[in-house]
Amino acid sequence: MANKLKERVVIAGVGCTRFGDLLETPELRGLSLQELAANAAREALEDAGLTSADVDAVFVGNAMVHSSQLPATYSQLSKWLGGQFKAGVHFEAQCSTTNVGAAMAAMAIASGAYDTVLVVGVETTRTKVKGMSPWERESISHQTTWMWTDMAVNQAYQVPQGYDIFSTYNGLVALGYCRKYGVSIEDFDRGMFELCRTRCLHGSLTPKANSQETLEAKAARHGFTDPYAFWKSQHNPFVAWPSRLMSLVTTADGASAMVLTRPDLVRQGTKPVEFKGFGISYRDLPWYDEDPTDWEFDRRSVAAAVEMSGVDVADIGYLHTHDCSHISSLCTAEMIGYIEPGKALDYAREGRLRFDGDRPMSTHGGRHAFGHAWAASAGSDTYEAVQQMRGTAGARQIAKPPVAAMIHTHGYAMIGTTIVLAAA
Amino acid sequence: MDTAVLQDSAIRTFYEALGEGRLEGRRCRKCGKITFPPTNCCEHCGSFDVEWTTLSGKGTLLFATHNITPACHPRFEPIAPYVYGHIRLDEGVIVQAIVRGIEATPEALEAVYDKGPIPVKAAVMEMPDLPVLVFEPVG
Ligand SMILES: [Zn+2]
Repeated sequence: MANKLKERVVIAGVGCTRFGDLLETPELRGLSLQELAANAAREALEDAGLTSADVDAVFVGNAMVHSSQLPATYSQLSKWLGGQFKAGVHFEAQCSTTNVGAAMAAMAIASGAYDTVLVVGVETTRTKVKGMSPWERESISHQTTWMWTDMAVNQAYQVPQGYDIFSTYNGLVALGYCRKYGVSIEDFDRGMFELCRTRCLHGSLTPKANSQETLEAKAARHGFTDPYAFWKSQHNPFVAWPSRLMSLVTTADGASAMVLTRPDLVRQGTKPVEFKGFGISYRDLPWYDEDPTDWEFDRRSVAAAVEMSGVDVADIGYLHTHDCSHISSLCTAEMIGYIEPGKALDYAREGRLRFDGDRPMSTHGGRHAFGHAWAASAGSDTYEAVQQMRGTAGARQIAKPPVAAMIHTHGYAMIGTTIVLAAA
Repeated sequence: MDTAVLQDSAIRTFYEALGEGRLEGRRCRKCGKITFPPTNCCEHCGSFDVEWTTLSGKGTLLFATHNITPACHPRFEPIAPYVYGHIRLDEGVIVQAIVRGIEATPEALEAVYDKGPIPVKAAVMEMPDLPVLVFEPVG
């Protein structure tokens, strides 16, 4: 395959709601799904200086239809966005949805088929439709969330026979990492603590994050003066030894959106970033062969994105790797070359992965602190990258705004998706 | 309607054989590689020219962790937490499955980790509604 975009494409605008719970989070409480999605889309359109009248196509992603009950989302949203008669599609690439949507939009624009595309992702992983009410919602149990989410995982064999995301994604990868690099289980635990501390710090500086509490504050709330003692306490049990609860995804309701267009159509006074390239590669279980730290589909998706973009990995100043599993996210960062192989836990301990460190990652807090609204999450990651590149990330701004950024996501289960952005 | 001929299904065949204690996979007539668990196509080369092959069930447990409680899937709620392993079958296939015979505690799992890879053998765990492939340490 040629693996290139024939014309330049920019992200002209981005939008993202706060991630949280439609039943209790202040900025979200009481919103319908239509309003949640429209809020993100409106922000992206206004950020681009456009209205839906300027859009040729709307690509709307939603993964867990059991909780949203909103298929054909393009037409169901159209009157909430003020535009009909567009090309529309409802699609999903699970937790890579919004960035796969951006890639589809880039292909459509670079081919000349469309000039401007609105991509929207909306998801509710904490709440579901209550009864048959058009607006009331209720909480989803942990088990129901995972049963519905795992419908994206091998339904013939693995899920019916005891597959568990936390074993496969966390525990086994952690053990593979420790064995490969000779890391002790105790050092691993300490490294995961430090990474969580960094991600929680980032969440505390991000007004749209689900959790905005530092790990230190959370420990104090539970009566601990030493946050590492809190980390090792019953409040943070092993979910898949040696991985603990706070190294995992936190569910959330949320929506994100972006507007992609041709560079010559960018409105004056707006701040586009160039969509330089993407790479997509999927694999069914098992996601890795003998070595749990080596994921070939990720290597392929990153290599394709790097080749298409022409951007040197050494020039990437901001990286997000999918961090439903903190250890997996570090393996990906090492594979990309952003972190030296086997050194990720050292980087975490030394604070190098913080927004003010030399290798900043996931400055919005990632899937643990920002939260995870499956189909909307990749868009939230891209939203953060765009803020960092524009220099508008507020208290968590990287001192020198990055000129190139890479965003990697895992769409369950699994579609490795990597996009590369550069200053326009 | 029930007189219609039952079409072959790889999934049904797999579970029926598993219920009888056999591990059925597919071997590709074109490239010779094994697709396990079975589909109707070679997962390696894409050829649909595949035949049934019975696997030995012998393998090596490379890593073992445990699952979350309550289990993600209601079927496994009664047995959670359970040990879940990363296994290489003697035929070269990588499988992840429930492992019996090891306690789902940090202490027991750390002992397994310290010991390194150990030989395991396939067994069948009869859940009320489905036979499930599991592995057990040998000896
Ligand atoms: Zn073959």
